[in-house]
Amino acid sequence: MKRAIPVLALSVAGLVPVWLYSPGPAHEGEISEVAAPETQAQTQAPKTTSAAPKTSGAAPTTQQQQQQTQQAQARTVNGPAVNTSEGTVQVQVTLQGNKITDVKAVRAPNSEPTRMALPILKQEALKAQSADIDTVSGATATSQGYKQSLQAALDGAQ
Amino acid sequence: MSFRGVEQIMGLPISVDLRDGDAALAERAFAWLREADAQFSPFKPDSEVSRLDRGELTREELTPDLVEVLSLCDWYEESTGGAFTAQVPGRGLDPCAVVKGWAVQRAADILREGGASSFCVNAGGDVVTAGEPEPGKPWRVGVRHPDIADQLCVVLGVRDGAVATSALYERGQHILDGRTGRPVTGILSVTVFADDLAIADTTATAAFALGKDGIEWAAAQEECEVFIVDEDRRVFRSPGLPVHIC
Repeated sequence: MKRAIPVLALSVAGLVPVWLYSPGPAHEGEISEVAAPETQAQTQAPKTTSAAPKTSGAAPTTQQQQQQTQQAQARTVNGPAVNTSEGTVQVQVTLQGNKITDVKAVRAPNSEPTRMALPILKQEALKAQSADIDTVSGATATSQGYKQSLQAALDGAQ
Repeated sequence: MSFRGVEQIMGLPISVDLRDGDAALAERAFAWLREADAQFSPFKPDSEVSRLDRGELTREELTPDLVEVLSLCDWYEESTGGAFTAQVPGRGLDPCAVVKGWAVQRAADILREGGASSFCVNAGGDVVTAGEPEPGKPWRVGVRHPDIADQLCVVLGVRDGAVATSALYERGQHILDGRTGRPVTGILSVTVFADDLAIADTTATAAFALGKDGIEWAAAQEECEVFIVDEDRRVFRSPGLPVHIC
């Protein structure tokens, strides 16, 4: 079924937010152990009881990290080697300031170092337009909002 | 054999555009959504969520579905350092942010299991699609412009994927930062494309709860592509986004 979540992809992807928001004690190129239990939990995918992530007690220090690292040079940090059901996984992250610019697996179950394609954000200006569409994505919650929405017009169109 | 209809369930207008299925199949999806509302609504005293919140159920006594929902809540809470939470301090348990996308994805699965291969379900602006509306064309999913209600800011071309948007324009500042309990600022609109609406919707809400930090956070989610407008009207877009027109 579509709802199945690829287990390994999630475990690697999950490291990124964990490291971005790693707790205070993580400093100067060192990742604290906090990432480890999170990673192990994620190898199960967040769908079952057993997958309920173990609490790391991570306090958000993003602001602080940003201030500290805003002007920093590119640096790479190695995460902990994590034993998963698929084998040992260790990920290396390259940071430019507080931004992750690259992630690669230095140890992966299939032994070949693999590179994870990170979506690099593009920035552009906001535009408005009309176009032929089938449906509208937007935060439409109230019935009043719905009545006035493009989606209502589409629903009534046939 | 096609069906098109809207019902108000879970406080949301839910539209089903079924190109190769009938009203009876659509009704099975609607029936599931009404069941999900009865089971998971924190506003219904008899719901499983309300009973858990009052301490009448232990975690061991919960249905597998609620366990799954709460696991998703926990995962995103952990991943966002608590900005996303189903339990804002001083308030009752409210897993709605996860339940909506999760339940609507399951409704789509019901349509698929019932034999449908071409449909679009839109629940309050969160969309699941299957197949193509006509051969060779994707479902064209317009994303509402955050400032101009009858305009779009991008159109995505989607086959077998989900699109969810969290934004401030309609309900006021309804998303709270779980770390502070205060309304979130910094982002006007977050749209997430993913295979699964539970993932897309929760990622959009969680990114919103993180404020500006949510831009990078959402882009780093491996299975998600994003289109985000910040309060300075800048657009952040990941290159894998299936843009149809922009």
